[in-house]
Amino acid sequence: MTTEILFKFAKKNINLSPEAYQIINGIKDPLDFSSSLIVKLKSQEFSRDDLVSLNLNTVEEFMKTLGLDVPNQENDDPNSNSQKTLLSESDDQIEVKLEKNEVKDQKNSSEIKAEIDTIENNSDNKLENYSDNNSKSSSNNDLNNNLDNNSENSLNYNSKKNLDNSLGAIKKIKNVFSPSECKRNLNPSNKEFNYKTLQDTSKKSYTSGKIGNLITYFQNRYSKLSSILAKRPELKTFQKISDLEEKESDLNLIVMVREIRSTKNGHKIIVFEDDTDEISVLFHKDNNELFRESEKLVKDEVIGLLAEIKGDLAIASRIIQPGVPRIANKTMDFSAVFTSDIHIGSLTFLEDAFVRFTKWLNGDYGTEEQRKIGNDVKYLIVGGDIVDGIGVYPNQDKELSIKDITDQYEEAARLLGDIRSDAKIIIAPGNHDASRVAEPQPAIPEKYAKSLHELDNVEFVSNPAIVSLDGWNTLIYHGRGFDDIAITVKGLSHERNDLIMEELLNKRHLAPIYGERTPLASELEDHLVIDNVPDIFHTGHVHINTYKNYKGIHMINSGTFQTQTEFQKVHNILPTCAEVPILHRGVYKKLKFI
Amino acid sequence: MDDFENTIKMEYFERLEKETHDLYAIANEVRSKGFDVETETEIPLAKDLAERVEGLVGPEGVAARMKELENENPEWSREEIAFKLAAEISSQETNEKKETNGRGKDKKVYESFGETFESKREQNADQALRTALAILTEGVVAAPIEGIAKVRIKKNLDGTEYLAVYFAGPIRSAGGTAAALAVLIGDCIKVATNLSGYKPIEAEIERYVEEVELYETEVTNLQYSPKPEEVRLAANNIAVEVTGEPTDQVEVSHRDLERVETNNIRGGALLAMVEGIIQKSAKVLKYSHTLKLDGWEWLEGYSKEKKKEDESSESESNGTSASDEDPNNQQPVKEEKAKFEAAKEEAKYIQDIIGGRPVLGYPSEKGGFRLRYGRSRNTGLAAMGVNPGTMQLLEFLAVGTQLKIEKPGKGNCVVPVDSIEGSLVKLKNDNVVKVNSVKKAKKVKGQIAEILFLGDMLVAFGEFLRNNQSLLPSAWCEEWWIETIKNSDKYDKDLPLLESNENLTLEKLGTLEIREDSYISAKHAFEISEKYDVPLHPLYTYCYNDISKEDLNSLIRWINNYKDSFNFDNNSEVDSNYKSNIDGFKLNLSFEKRILEIIGVPHKVEGRIDKDENSFVILNHDDAFALINTLTREIDEKDLNNSELSTLDVINNISSIKIKDKAPVYIGTRVGRPEKSKERLMRPPPHVLFPIGNFGGNRRLVAEAAKKGKISVKLSRRICTNPQCQISSFNSICPHCGSPTEIGSPTRKNINLSGMLRKASENVRHRKVDEIKGVVGMISESKLPEPLEKGVLRAKNEVFTFKDATIRHDSTDLPLTHFIPKEIGITVEKLLEMGYENDIHGNPIETENQIIELKVQDVVVSNNCGEYLVNVANFVDDLLDKFYSMDRFYKVTQKEDLIGNLIVGLAPHTSAGVLGRIIGFTNALACYAHPYFHSAKRRNCDSDEDSVMLLLDSLINFSKSYLPSTRGGSMDAPLVLSSRIDPEEIDDESHNIDVLPNFSEEFFEKTYEMVKPPEALDLVDNVSMHLGTQKQYEDLMFSHNTSNIHAGPNICLYKTLPSMKEKVDSQIGLAEKIRAVDQRGVVEGVLSSHFLPDIMGNVRAFSKQKVRCTTCGSKYRRMPLTGKCRCGANLVLSVSKGSVTKYLEISRDLVARYPITHYLAQRLEIQEFGIDSLFESDKSKQSSLDVFL
Repeated sequence: MTTEILFKFAKKNINLSPEAYQIINGIKDPLDFSSSLIVKLKSQEFSRDDLVSLNLNTVEEFMKTLGLDVPNQENDDPNSNSQKTLLSESDDQIEVKLEKNEVKDQKNSSEIKAEIDTIENNSDNKLENYSDNNSKSSSNNDLNNNLDNNSENSLNYNSKKNLDNSLGAIKKIKNVFSPSECKRNLNPSNKEFNYKTLQDTSKKSYTSGKIGNLITYFQNRYSKLSSILAKRPELKTFQKISDLEEKESDLNLIVMVREIRSTKNGHKIIVFEDDTDEISVLFHKDNNELFRESEKLVKDEVIGLLAEIKGDLAIASRIIQPGVPRIANKTMDFSAVFTSDIHIGSLTFLEDAFVRFTKWLNGDYGTEEQRKIGNDVKYLIVGGDIVDGIGVYPNQDKELSIKDITDQYEEAARLLGDIRSDAKIIIAPGNHDASRVAEPQPAIPEKYAKSLHELDNVEFVSNPAIVSLDGWNTLIYHGRGFDDIAITVKGLSHERNDLIMEELLNKRHLAPIYGERTPLASELEDHLVIDNVPDIFHTGHVHINTYKNYKGIHMINSGTFQTQTEFQKVHNILPTCAEVPILHRGVYKKLKFI
Repeated sequence: MDDFENTIKMEYFERLEKETHDLYAIANEVRSKGFDVETETEIPLAKDLAERVEGLVGPEGVAARMKELENENPEWSREEIAFKLAAEISSQETNEKKETNGRGKDKKVYESFGETFESKREQNADQALRTALAILTEGVVAAPIEGIAKVRIKKNLDGTEYLAVYFAGPIRSAGGTAAALAVLIGDCIKVATNLSGYKPIEAEIERYVEEVELYETEVTNLQYSPKPEEVRLAANNIAVEVTGEPTDQVEVSHRDLERVETNNIRGGALLAMVEGIIQKSAKVLKYSHTLKLDGWEWLEGYSKEKKKEDESSESESNGTSASDEDPNNQQPVKEEKAKFEAAKEEAKYIQDIIGGRPVLGYPSEKGGFRLRYGRSRNTGLAAMGVNPGTMQLLEFLAVGTQLKIEKPGKGNCVVPVDSIEGSLVKLKNDNVVKVNSVKKAKKVKGQIAEILFLGDMLVAFGEFLRNNQSLLPSAWCEEWWIETIKNSDKYDKDLPLLESNENLTLEKLGTLEIREDSYISAKHAFEISEKYDVPLHPLYTYCYNDISKEDLNSLIRWINNYKDSFNFDNNSEVDSNYKSNIDGFKLNLSFEKRILEIIGVPHKVEGRIDKDENSFVILNHDDAFALINTLTREIDEKDLNNSELSTLDVINNISSIKIKDKAPVYIGTRVGRPEKSKERLMRPPPHVLFPIGNFGGNRRLVAEAAKKGKISVKLSRRICTNPQCQISSFNSICPHCGSPTEIGSPTRKNINLSGMLRKASENVRHRKVDEIKGVVGMISESKLPEPLEKGVLRAKNEVFTFKDATIRHDSTDLPLTHFIPKEIGITVEKLLEMGYENDIHGNPIETENQIIELKVQDVVVSNNCGEYLVNVANFVDDLLDKFYSMDRFYKVTQKEDLIGNLIVGLAPHTSAGVLGRIIGFTNALACYAHPYFHSAKRRNCDSDEDSVMLLLDSLINFSKSYLPSTRGGSMDAPLVLSSRIDPEEIDDESHNIDVLPNFSEEFFEKTYEMVKPPEALDLVDNVSMHLGTQKQYEDLMFSHNTSNIHAGPNICLYKTLPSMKEKVDSQIGLAEKIRAVDQRGVVEGVLSSHFLPDIMGNVRAFSKQKVRCTTCGSKYRRMPLTGKCRCGANLVLSVSKGSVTKYLEISRDLVARYPITHYLAQRLEIQEFGIDSLFESDKSKQSSLDVFL
């Protein structure tokens, strides 16, 4: 043991004075203590190449900061009382939970110790902080994270003896504060929700990454969209490419776009295919209207195509998009709020604005009229990127205030936990969330967002997903595919994402372009096809609010709670921050919280 | 005397040339038989730059004109000559006579370099630009052919004419300056031909701005990212249009401009504008002044901006150097420290840590490599020396392994130099020992607990010069110490150094390589210092500056406790015998032992350290003597608390003898690319360039295809020009009537392959033909195949051909200026026969152990290269004998027989081969050759690799007609052979090679001023100072000898470990041992800069992947709805599950085993979740759960 300690320090260029060595050796767990001492020394006062000399004073000081007993020094134990208080505070009701967690806690205890060692102390307040922190960060089942959170505040351990006890105490405390207690309304609400998840792909990923999946995926896309198109009168008698006769002069096809080329003379040649063969079709630039329509075509979408054969050439005469019918007006006897791209955990997350927003939902913020709307809100949708995530782009850690994904969701739970429990919260993942990158994305797993899952007014769905809010079918899609469309189609941009949404509805597909920026999983079914026309189409991702009523469909992009990022600066994108769209009893409204 | 030496040197070149001409004669005789594409060999021979330029781009007669200009205007620079020629060629009268284009072929008048021109005037402008650019790039790189697509004369909107230069992607190979000069040449041609300037319209300017941005976001980063205003300034003012071919499939939004033919990115043009004109604006401005070209003043706009930045940094360094002279002012120390800190932040080499490539030292971290100035006979040109003991110890360093380094420069190649310090290691038994040899390293292998210090890195002054990196303080080393004695007033070279010991001489002390002989006892070292008033000998100077003053005091107290037990006079034992330091100095083991480790005092530990009692630290007599006499008393409080004083300062306050900073600069490094020496193989490797389509199966076997009977392939034949005959064949002379033939156009034909194969086999009397591999199709424009006989014989001799029908062997380049016959396996007789006469000291060559200066075109190839070339030689002999019915030429059976034979060296991005001669072999996986030889190929030695070919093979078999017609196709092909190396006409990097035997004291002191290298040039001697004199070829001395140029491992551990897991394990194991490396940082670095990005990238790629057909090779952007390839075969994924998950397990393992940040662990976890979701069906998950429930 003794030499081990010497080595430990020696390895890190620290010289122990004999006195220091003695005192360290006297501690109950000298190795552990040494580790933390080394961490502290190396992390702060000294550059890593200094050879550090460690004398008695430094060791004693450090022991004090840890709250360990310094030998031969009388030291009060101010924490012991508080400890008791705390322990007594812990209700019986949590004991069941406790047992469950014990195994895990034990496993973690060694890690925890290391973590605690790094915690700085600044004053003599303890208990208040304990409870404060814990109430703030709601249910912290992952102890490490909790401790990290608290490290900016203070934790005191006064004696070595107490260390283990205090650890135990923390564990217990953490379990005491279950999420429900963080909320304004402790009791689950009795409000009647007519909520249904109509389409959710979570836990329905049947792909195994084989080549066959890829075939099935695109064939499914084609067959789904072709069955929509086949209902159109012009296409009722559509042909298969391979069945075309030599002499055929009028073509009537349902096809997928494979390739789009421009000719030297400014015409377009598009290669189409169906499940039998491929065909090249010319779009003449002088056929103005058709040519303009053809400019909106993107790779891998499915359309109906009318064309004529002239000589060797097939010349297009009409494009038929799947499109959407106008839907009938409906009455709405509740309000719903749409948000996305909150980016909790980012340095640029607008926490103040978001808190004002939750206060408003609770009826505690805004003009009287605004409060009235707030109180009427029954559903809150979060369309992806509720947290900033980790490792989404290179060097993201430099732009994060919370560098732990679980902690980010904890923080989200703390913030959302403040919302009254009779408002249902529906959360879908975005590209920043802890899910897979390929769409469709399964719902955020409980593993990372445990405390959010524990809030009993929260529902998790996939991206995309369709939910029914008291009979209002809502299509939630984060919007990753917008990136491809905005770049490919002339006239469409991130700013005018309402036009993109309109185009996607007409294409009846959320991310038609394969192989560019949006990764698509080759599921057996193409969940990104818009099978049924929704009442509400909610998107996010681009951080720019838009709203448009298109053929009776409310198309909403819900902006962001994050200020302009470096990426957006470079690309000159101006986000609309903290502007929240609301459907108030069927009427679109937007409130600003900044 | 001079004349005499001159004749020797000339004899060498003439001799090489004569032998070359002999081979050309053989090759031309071979070709005259008419079995090949042409009736002559196709590699023109060029004696010098002028001839190379003519051979490479023409026009005919330009070499003579160039020499004429040189003679008429001896004061002209090469640039001036190039510009003069450009003006002359472009402005020549056009309606005089029809000319050929200079490449020896008759083509239509307005056609050259694969382009057609609208007028002779335009063609001349094109020719002028290429010729001038070839001169400026030493007539070696392919840029003048491949980097310039064409030159056009176009019209401004006002009807005036201007010049447009079309750049292509390979302009990159010319470098930024040459690309910029190409634009300047364009301007010169414009003036010479009375054209108007280019007047861009607004949209064209904005197009440039957009393209630059697009290029950086969509293609790749430029070396310099200009602001939009900077691009506008350039686009507005350059007097010729800088445009070019589309290089990338990225379209711009400024489309369909009348004068810009493409809507895609013009990569070549952007390189010329940004990395050329804008980045090198200062240089361009300077050239425009010397060449008296008007209208470039606007470039000052850039220089001003850059100057501002320069000035601020300059004033800083001036301040530092000025105040350095004042010893009382300690401010600079702090500034210096701040600078070092900044350097650490910026250290690029460590930003990416690659799996399996260990970090050997953190930036400037103590215990890393110590910077030592000097050059050994195998260093320079970016190769740096490391003690072979260190290489052996680390196992990852083999001869020629690349290191990414902190400074100077970015990378180097490691070579063994055993006259410099090796490592200091702590063993598991706590002894601290020096490892100065491979033998010692092998002995301590397995016992190492910590590598306290890696040892020296020998860096030539030229490396600092090349990178224009400010000099860094020199290590305190033996050669400096000797200089201080020589410069002492009391030194008299006729008297013994010390009266007390007559055996001690500076010569002996200076021979660093023989340790015993250069040994000096501590007692003598102190005596010398006292007598001559010089600092203490480096052997007894320890790295005091690596510890704090408090530590120093602890050490002093500890030592002083036991001082009385030390026997100062140990005369009888110490005097002569180094090994007899038995009478050591015993101290009770205590924490101060660590201080000894840090400052680098070797010692032993007696007694078991884990039993607290009876453990002692034992120092040898010399070290103890040195420590006790240096650390005479404790440092007082005042000095201790004076933060201005460094540890070294306070030591000098207590020591009567001056103590220097032993290791002021440590260099951080990490392992880069491993060394390489391997035959060049295409994939799959063919024996013959003969098309067999897909009929030969995956292995492309000709015999397999022949079994199919008649096969249909695309090729062309040559047709007899005799109107009576008109028979078609593959021969250049009609086999039927003997008339010349001309090439037909390529068509798809049914050929009787089995008949052809049988005939070929009979022709060369070799029956075994089942292993011959062909190619799917010819990539050349003409599609004329090689004779099948060549394939039969290549297969017989187990050699493979490259795309141009030559046989190549690739090796890492290493420099060599002197050799020892024994080490490279050449005998004295052979050496004398090859024209070597004297050794380095001017003595006649009599033994195989003398050090001999290498002649500039002699090369030492690797053993396996030698063995492969034996096969090549046998193939050539077989070819001569059996196919061409001539005498065998090489007649070799073993590689030693190849010594004295000629080879061609050729680098990948160039088009000019360099003639070389084999002189010996090395165990290293590298090619040792004179720095000039490498520079002539435009390579340096930071892990560049290139190929050698047997000269006769390339003369007989190479043909331009096999080269692909695509852009860049003529790169890496021997379009011309330079027979003679003139240091003035090669890449000027080689002019930085140090040639001095030792540095002066003044130089060492100058390094402490941290000046830019040019300011110290008067204190050194390098090649640039001898250009044009005989000395450019001779007496290139070195300062540090090495006894063996291939000591240490000759294969990097990275290459021998079978899996990434083992590589990473070794990497981390090493990180744990090396004091200068942070193990946790390495683990995190590997994860965050290698494995995680790889996993994430591949996950993304998997979900966007293309599919391809294994049968016909077609690729599809997306799976077709039919689910099948057009050819009916099944399709396969292009990104497999394996490539997504290849680093998953090892990453998981790292996360589990090492205390890395939670952030990284979670990132991995999330990726795993995503990967599971992609590859595991939820159905199977559920059903497997069902089993358990």
